[in-house]
Amino acid sequence: MKRSIILLALMTLCVGLKAQTDTTKKAPGKTSSADSLMNSLSPDDKHQDVLPAFKATRLILSQTTTTVKKNNFNFLVIHRFGDMAGKAGGAQTLFGLDAVKDVYIGFEYGLSDNFNIDFGRSTIGQLVELGLKYAVLHQTSDNSSPVAITLFGQAGVRPYGPANAYNSFGDRLSYLGQVIISRKFSSAFSLQVLPTVVQDNTPYPADPGNEESFFALQTSARLKVTKRMSIIVDYSHSFSTFRTDRQFADPLGFGIEMETGGHVFTVNISNANAISAINTLSNTQSDFGRGQYRLGFTISRMFDFNKKTKHAY
Amino acid sequence: MKNISIILLAWFTFVQTGQDVYTCKNVKVNIFSSAPIEDIEANSTNGVSVYNPGTGELDFTVPIRSFHFPKALMEEHFNENYMESDKYPKASFKGKVQEHPDLTKDGSYPVTVTGDFEAHGIKQTRTINGNLKVANGVLTMTSEFMVKCADHHIDIPQIVFHNIAESIRIRVNATYTVYKNSPSK
Repeated sequence: MKRSIILLALMTLCVGLKAQTDTTKKAPGKTSSADSLMNSLSPDDKHQDVLPAFKATRLILSQTTTTVKKNNFNFLVIHRFGDMAGKAGGAQTLFGLDAVKDVYIGFEYGLSDNFNIDFGRSTIGQLVELGLKYAVLHQTSDNSSPVAITLFGQAGVRPYGPANAYNSFGDRLSYLGQVIISRKFSSAFSLQVLPTVVQDNTPYPADPGNEESFFALQTSARLKVTKRMSIIVDYSHSFSTFRTDRQFADPLGFGIEMETGGHVFTVNISNANAISAINTLSNTQSDFGRGQYRLGFTISRMFDFNKKTKHAY
Repeated sequence: MKNISIILLAWFTFVQTGQDVYTCKNVKVNIFSSAPIEDIEANSTNGVSVYNPGTGELDFTVPIRSFHFPKALMEEHFNENYMESDKYPKASFKGKVQEHPDLTKDGSYPVTVTGDFEAHGIKQTRTINGNLKVANGVLTMTSEFMVKCADHHIDIPQIVFHNIAESIRIRVNATYTVYKNSPSK
């Protein structure tokens, strides 16, 4: 009798407990049992790559950590006009629009999502470049990788020019190596730094005392103003006594980047005449202070050669 | 005394179990936009769903980043410009199945689910028709419904107006297994 009473008491307790959990479940509030179950089942989305820090593969003067995706083909046309002000500028040349300082036509192809091959040609020096770009590290949302790192290496050749200026084919070659480190601080703001080494077998400009190789640093930032428009700033400095002694200018550019579907347009103002980093880092003598700044633009068009896949189910 | 503990244990289990809860960790979701210039389609297999036949509760969650497009740029635009997946990482549905289908019998049961559909941070109360199939104790839920971009404040700029449809067709397919309650809870 005593036992059965205990049993009965325990059973009621059990039911009571169950009822209690039931009432808490139905209590107003956000967490129900289904919710907590849902949370426990949901994959952890904290550890994933953040969306690329930059829209395009390059800004005004510098490359970005962004790569062209697999089987994508990016076609680039970059232009720099003449001086807006100063001696060569003004209304007579329609603020530099009559003059063309440099034109770059280039292609970038994604061998994989992280590995690109770049090819391009500049007017200045008739410099033809071949580059490889490899995204080593992507920034993740849980900051286990707080930055994205992309390596960029490039070789350039100047196929023309007076034969007496170059003793051998090797003298026509120049190289650029960069470690691109970017961080996307928010969906609107990204910043990157690019420690760079430039090696030029025939130093450019070809003046006595110029170093064959020097170290340079580029830095650039993007601020998204609307979903499809950003303000970009790009700055470089070459650590070269030759350039410091002769008071070369530091290339500086700022502009607006617009994105429309497969196109990215950049309209910018910069003091650099050249487009290719090998040229801008080596020989930027034009100065904002002397009115030697110019309008420039970049048109980038992405083509996707991936086959359209049919439904998964 | 020994008997009592056995009975007690049995009683506990009986009370605790109640009705089974079904879960699916690989819900397939397909989104499809049909517009004059191009058809755009993306798939995710990373949705999660919980179905409690006892209460009728039916929940779905899909990470936006898990949708994959055939073209990389489409995926980037989808995440960055349309769904803003860094701000609103998930789309979800929290509802109740209106019918009480007999899950012990094989068959195909049309179901109506009413609840909140949330995408791009905007909640809409929706009644969605679906189908529940029971075959050898395996539950499969399928549904097809339309979502208007404007209802969820997803802006389509004029320039790509002919590339993206105003309404997106969504197909869901979930195969459930009985959820095993882990003792750690």
